[in-house]
Amino acid sequence: MRVALCGITVRFGALTAVEDVSLAIEPGEVHAVVGENGAGKTTLMNVLFGLVAPQAGAIRLDGQDRRWTSPQDAIRHGLGMVHQHFMLQESMSVLENIVLCAEPAGRFGLVDFSAARSRLRRIAEQHGISLALDRPVARLSVGERQVVEVLKMLYRQAEVLILDEPTSVLTPQEKDRLFATLRSFRTAGKAIVLITHKLDEVMELADRVSVMRAGRLVWSGRLSQTSKEEIARGIVGGALPPARQRAVRTPGEPVLAVRDLEVAGRSGAVGPLSLRVHAGEIVGIAGVAGNGQGELIQAITGLAPALSGEIALCGRPVTHLDVERRRRLGMSYIPEDRQRMGLALGATVSENANAGRDDRRAFTRGPFLDRAAMARFASGLIERFRIRVGGPSALAATMSGGNKQKLVVGRELARNTPLVIAENPTWGVDIGAIDFIHGELMRMRDEGHAVLLVSTELDEVMALSDRILVMYAGAIAGEVAGTEADRETIGRMMTSRAHQALPEVA
Amino acid sequence: MLELLFDPSFAASVPRFVTPILLAALGGALCERAGVFNIALEGFLLMGAFAAVVGSYFSGSPWLGALAAMLGGVAMGLVFAEFNLRRGGDPIVVSIAINILAAGLTTYLLRAIFDAMGAFSDPAIAGFGPVSIPGLGWLPVLGPVFGGQSPLFYLALVAVPVASLFFARHRLGLRIRAAGENPAGLVAGGVSPRRVRLYALMGCGALCGLGGAQLSIANVNLFVENMSAGRGWIAVVAVLLTRGRPWPLLLIAFIFGTVDSLSFRVQGLGMPQQFTDMMPYLATLAVLITLSWWRRGRTANGGAP
Repeated sequence: MRVALCGITVRFGALTAVEDVSLAIEPGEVHAVVGENGAGKTTLMNVLFGLVAPQAGAIRLDGQDRRWTSPQDAIRHGLGMVHQHFMLQESMSVLENIVLCAEPAGRFGLVDFSAARSRLRRIAEQHGISLALDRPVARLSVGERQVVEVLKMLYRQAEVLILDEPTSVLTPQEKDRLFATLRSFRTAGKAIVLITHKLDEVMELADRVSVMRAGRLVWSGRLSQTSKEEIARGIVGGALPPARQRAVRTPGEPVLAVRDLEVAGRSGAVGPLSLRVHAGEIVGIAGVAGNGQGELIQAITGLAPALSGEIALCGRPVTHLDVERRRRLGMSYIPEDRQRMGLALGATVSENANAGRDDRRAFTRGPFLDRAAMARFASGLIERFRIRVGGPSALAATMSGGNKQKLVVGRELARNTPLVIAENPTWGVDIGAIDFIHGELMRMRDEGHAVLLVSTELDEVMALSDRILVMYAGAIAGEVAGTEADRETIGRMMTSRAHQALPEVA
Repeated sequence: MLELLFDPSFAASVPRFVTPILLAALGGALCERAGVFNIALEGFLLMGAFAAVVGSYFSGSPWLGALAAMLGGVAMGLVFAEFNLRRGGDPIVVSIAINILAAGLTTYLLRAIFDAMGAFSDPAIAGFGPVSIPGLGWLPVLGPVFGGQSPLFYLALVAVPVASLFFARHRLGLRIRAAGENPAGLVAGGVSPRRVRLYALMGCGALCGLGGAQLSIANVNLFVENMSAGRGWIAVVAVLLTRGRPWPLLLIAFIFGTVDSLSFRVQGLGMPQQFTDMMPYLATLAVLITLSWWRRGRTANGGAP
């Protein structure tokens, strides 16, 4: 099926998210749509999928104009979308998830699961996919969940497959497997739209590329007519930031020491874990999401109790101290979830910027908050961290993802604590903000702070870390020096216990 | 006390108390699983009880009375849907409004339709008689419990496996579970969670209506102001305790129903009414405490490697 988007324009209030974009998606091709976060890629695909109604423009399938009133229309015409955040039901089995909303119903509306099962078996065989249909989704790895999402589309006989940042949560091996499946779809004559910001993936898989910036289509054409550098320049709209230079530093005293730590996890206990982070180094923790990184960070920050083991901060035991005491002793924390943990979205920028500050006296007058001082401080952060927002009195909810994250990063780093913990600090933010946040973390390192970085983005861990620890199944599966890191070795550690022979990582 | 438990007439009275709680709780389960926080079961139940009397009085048939009760319950479900789903009202506020509305509306209609104050009974109200189940009579305890009850009791018992099958295998059951767990998944699949929840609320209304019919045209043949007397709240507790799972609901409904029945009994033995009225709620507290201990024990063990 041939899909054409013609002159699509989408406005949200005063903001124009997509402006007059036209592009063609051909069967038997992988069409990559690239651009920074906020460039309009996802909005454009939501238009194609019927989740957003455009203010202007048309969708054409095989030359005929179509208008969607809901995603159901798009699905009925053979479109399928794998969203960036999976839309699965954890408590249901794989089979139930796949048939949901497209149930083959027999008498009395009872679902004919055996018919669905045999049909799925055929589809899976055709594309070389293997997956146990009766396992509950809650027990699947992120990679397996993605397979469920892909199977879901195939089950609905989608001819056009839209994948929104499909590899952001996968190990390199899982990514390879996904790409093999996508190649099989291409051979079967399906059209595939790949939304991504990873250029290596574009170069590896795409036949056609469309580059978006600030809601406009900058360039669209065959991959063979362009180059990686040209695409990158199109995305950022100018010259690329230079590659980061790493100053050589000898790490100092240990700032964070964790010994034999055990934490209760969602699926079994995490640990025992031991690790140290010294002054002036970035220790990166790589691993697929859900392998105990979250539990480890929660125990170190004091959000979750340790079952056993010891945590010391700047040489002082903190295992039994609460979050506030630990923060005062010298810990900053950039949480993974800026929407819920990092910020109070209903509060102003100024209030958020002052949350959790130590020197309370500078921001109070008697029993009352000193609003003017708070606003001055927030303005300082806005300027220093180049946060794009109306001003200190704007609500946090009005900022874009990247700017929200900059506010969290700014607030935490401005505290200048010996230890900085950053958990997926660039998740879902645009290239400009990523570069800035990485720069700030490096600056902290160079100034002699200890940085513990947890990230599911392997590139991020590799770009920043002096040492890399890999977590798998609640344990540290291996350690690699930052200079010697390569994707294959780390990728293997991300899925095996083979290297788990480290009683204490010094 | 033990003697009392094995008294056949006591055993025979238990289902009269179990039925309204079980039916209302199954209705509540639909909402719970669909992600609608419905604590208006009390109001749904009361409306059902009143509508049953109206239907039965004017048609002369208890079955048409039960149908009217279901329609009355569905109407309340639609009111809930209008204010919660469509207008985005807070479910707790909407629930409280509906509970108060049901109490006021039934009192008002009692006057408007039957010109009665406080209570209405009339020989024209056709009630459900006992259904005799052959071969059960000789059994001790179980015989009187499961034989000779109103048809609504058997309906409620059948409704448990049906509900279980519905959640596991039915198209709408699957969607209801999805609406309760991750409604975004339904949106992505092109199904409106709001519509799914509307159906759940309508089903909930119908089941609560039947529970009300048991109160007014099976247990007795009359309507009394506020005759649901807290059973809807007990059903809410049962739903929250079991997270809307039908088989555990059956167990909890029997526990509450037995205690409810017992409280009437011991009142007859001269215990002050103020105390016996507390019994169902004391039982609720006891179940809550037991369950929380049990759960805590389980998670403590489950957390170990």
